[in-house]
Amino acid sequence: MQLTYLEAIRQGIWEEMDRDPTVFCLGEDIGIYGGAFKVTDGFIDRFGPERVIDTPIAESAIVGAAFGASLTGMRPIAEFQFMDFIGCAFNQISNMVAKTHYLWGAPAPLVLRGPSGGYVHGGPFHSQNPEMWFAHNPGLKVICPATPYDAKGLIKAAIRDNNPCIFFEHKYLYRRIKEEVPAEDYVVPIGKARLAREGRDLSIITYAAMVHTALEASEVLKNEGIDLEILDLRTVSPLDREAIAQTVKKTNKVIILHEHSRTGGLAGEITAIINEEAFDDLDGPVVRIAGLDSAIPFSPPQEHHYLPKVEDVVREARRLKAY
Amino acid sequence: MGTKKPKSKTSSNGNRPRNGSRTTNTHAGTAHVGTAAPGRSVERSSTGSPGEHLRTYSIPDYRLEHPNFTVRQRVEKDRHGAEHVRYEVEGDLDAPVPPILDSKYLDQQHAIEIYRYMLLNRKMEIALENLYKQGKVVGGVYFGLGQEACSCASAYALDKDDWFAPMIRNQGSLLVRGFRASDTMMQYMAKADSPTKGRDGTSHFGDIEKRNMVSPISMLGDLIPVMAGVALGARLQGRSLAVMTYIGDGGQSTGVTYEGINFAAVQNLGLVLFVESNLWAYSTPSEMQYRCKDLAERAIGYGIPGVIVDGTDACQVYDAAREAVDRAHRGEGPTLIEAKMMRMKGHAIHDAASYVPKAMYEFWKKRDPIARFENYLVKEKKWLTPRENDAVIAEVEEVIEAEREIAVKSPMPAPESAEGGVFCENGCHEIKPKYGIPKVKKGAGGYKETEAAVHLK
Repeated sequence: MQLTYLEAIRQGIWEEMDRDPTVFCLGEDIGIYGGAFKVTDGFIDRFGPERVIDTPIAESAIVGAAFGASLTGMRPIAEFQFMDFIGCAFNQISNMVAKTHYLWGAPAPLVLRGPSGGYVHGGPFHSQNPEMWFAHNPGLKVICPATPYDAKGLIKAAIRDNNPCIFFEHKYLYRRIKEEVPAEDYVVPIGKARLAREGRDLSIITYAAMVHTALEASEVLKNEGIDLEILDLRTVSPLDREAIAQTVKKTNKVIILHEHSRTGGLAGEITAIINEEAFDDLDGPVVRIAGLDSAIPFSPPQEHHYLPKVEDVVREARRLKAY
Repeated sequence: MGTKKPKSKTSSNGNRPRNGSRTTNTHAGTAHVGTAAPGRSVERSSTGSPGEHLRTYSIPDYRLEHPNFTVRQRVEKDRHGAEHVRYEVEGDLDAPVPPILDSKYLDQQHAIEIYRYMLLNRKMEIALENLYKQGKVVGGVYFGLGQEACSCASAYALDKDDWFAPMIRNQGSLLVRGFRASDTMMQYMAKADSPTKGRDGTSHFGDIEKRNMVSPISMLGDLIPVMAGVALGARLQGRSLAVMTYIGDGGQSTGVTYEGINFAAVQNLGLVLFVESNLWAYSTPSEMQYRCKDLAERAIGYGIPGVIVDGTDACQVYDAAREAVDRAHRGEGPTLIEAKMMRMKGHAIHDAASYVPKAMYEFWKKRDPIARFENYLVKEKKWLTPRENDAVIAEVEEVIEAEREIAVKSPMPAPESAEGGVFCENGCHEIKPKYGIPKVKKGAGGYKETEAAVHLK
C-alpha cells in the first residue's frame, strides 16, 4: 500500500487503537476537526469521543493528564498541534514524566507526538526542532522518523513501549513523500539506525527531513564520483552508537547534518561518540551542517538561508573528500 | 427546521450543562456541596448596575469564625536611622477560639482514629526534628505543624481505591493511606530502604500498585492535571474514582494549577483539591500571592463547587472532603476546598520564619488542631477519657520510637545504586489497566484513508 508519511502515522495510531483498548488520544482539535494536520481525521467517529478527547489549550494539563492516565495502565497519545508548543509543557515532561521511573519506579507508557521542522515558512513558532531539549533528559525516548515505513513502524513501537516517547513528525514530509508500506503489522525498533544509502567515500549522519536532503546531495555527488553513505538515526535518544561507529570505520569521513541550531546540537554529541568509539578511524575533521544559532526566521529567503540545503551538503562533502 | 433530530447520546466528556456556576436566580438552593451550610455570597454584576442583572454565587463557608487581619509591609527605622522593611499584621488577633463544628458523618471511633493519625503526624515530625539535630537527616526537614487536621482528616475521607498525591506538608496523609512513619523518615535520611531507595527525599515517593499514591515533585501545581489524568484513566476503565491532591496559597499562583483544575472541570473528573491557605509561602504572605478575598472564590471561575473550611478543625475538613469524595464517586466532577490555617514553622527547618509577626503565631497557636480536637474528644464529647487519651498518646509515641529505630538502622545506599532504572525495560513492570479492560466502541467499519493520504507535489 502506497502511503504518505502522514497517512502512515495515522494508520499506525489507528491500528494500535483498534488492537489495544488502553490506547487513547487527547489533544487540541483532534476530535471532530481531526487535528490541525488531520492525523486523527475520522478517529472520533470510529473510536468515540471517550477515546479521542478534545482538550483545552493547556499543554501542561494535556501532558499531566496523559501521564496520570498512564499510571492507571492506559497508553495515552497526546498530540501537540505544533511541537513548538511542547515548551509550554516542559516542566511536566522533564520533571514529572521523565524522572518517574528512575525515582519511584512507576512506568509511564505515554506518547507525546506532533509536527516539527521547517521548510514550510511557518515562522519562529511553527518551525522549530525541539528534539534536543529532550535528548538531554534521561528517561525519555526521542523519535524522529524520515520515511512512511519508519513513521508507521516507530509510532507503533512508541505506543507499545513502556516508557515516555516523544515522537517528532516532520511536517515538511507529511504529504511530500510516499512509499510502499506493508499491510501486515510490523514495528521498527526504537534506538536502531538504518542505512538510507550505502556508500564508500564519506558518511552523512542525519535524521528526519535531512535524510532526504542528503539523498538529493548524493545524486549530485554521484556524478562527481563521490559516493555518500547516509545513516538515518531514526531515534535521537537513545542513539545507535554502534551504527555511528560502524559507518565511521567504513568511510573514515563524517558530516553530521541536522536542522536545529548548531550550538549544543546533536552533532556535538555525535562527534563525542565518534571520538570515543572510532577516533583512530577518522581521516578528516568531523563536519557539522546545521541551522543557524538564531530563531527560525519567517520570510522564505531568510528561512532558506537559515536551514541546511542540498548545496551545503554538496559543498562540505567536496571539501571533506579532498581533505 | 423540519429536520428530524437523530438519536444521540452524550459522551462522558462532552455535552454537559455547565455546572458549578450556579446562580441563585436559576438554581436556588443547589449551590452547596452536600447539605446547606452558611453561604458567603460573592456578587458579580455583568452590567455594573444592580438589580436583575446581578448574579450571585455562593461559596459555603463552614467556619465558625472568620479571622480578620491583614499582613502588609512597613518601613521601620532603627536607632541608627537605617530603614528596614518588615511585615506587620493588623486586625482582630484576640478573638476567642471557636468550638469544633460537630461532624455530620464522623462517629466516635472514626473521630478518634483521625485524632490518632494527627498525633502520629506530629510525633513523627518531632522525631524528624530530633534526627535532624542529631545530624542524621540529609538536607532539610519540612513540617506540617498546624496543618495536621487538614492532612489527616482529608485523606481519611478517601476510599481504598481512590488516589491521592500529597504536597510537602501532607506527611500525615501518607500515614492515613497506610505508609509507615519509617518510610518518610528513611526518605529524609536518604537510606537504602527508603521507598525511593535513596533517590529522592521527603514525601517524594509513590505507589501505583497498592496505596494509589502519585509521587509529588518540587514544582508546584503539576500534580493537579496528573491527578485529573488518573481519574480519566480510571473512568475509561469504568470507575469513578476520587483523586485528591493539595496546593498551597503560594503554589496556586502557578499556571499549571489553572490548567489542571480547568481540565478536571471540563472533563468532569473527580478531583478533590485542597487549597491549603496557610498564609505564608516561604516568606511571602498570601496578600502578595493573590488579590481575591478567599481562594475558594476561584471555584466560581472554574465552574465547580468551592467551599471554605477551618483547616484546624478536623471535623470541618473531614466533612468537606467526604462530600467532595462522594461527588467524585457519583461522577459529578471536581471540588475545590479551601482550608484556612497557618504554617506554624518556617518553610523548612533552616528557616526560623522571623518574618512572621509574632502576634500571628499567638493567634494560631490557640487554634492548634490537635489541642482543639483533643479538647473536643475528651471534654466536649467525652468520647475519650483522660486516661484513654493518655493511652493513645503513649501508643503513638511507642510506634514512632519503633519506626525511628527501623529508619536509623537502615544502611545508606551503595554508590553504584545510583545507576539503572532510568527506563522501564526487560519486563521490570507489566503494564495493564488497573481496573479492567476499557470498554471500547465496536468497530463501525475498518480503516479508511482520508484527506491525510493526499500526496503533494
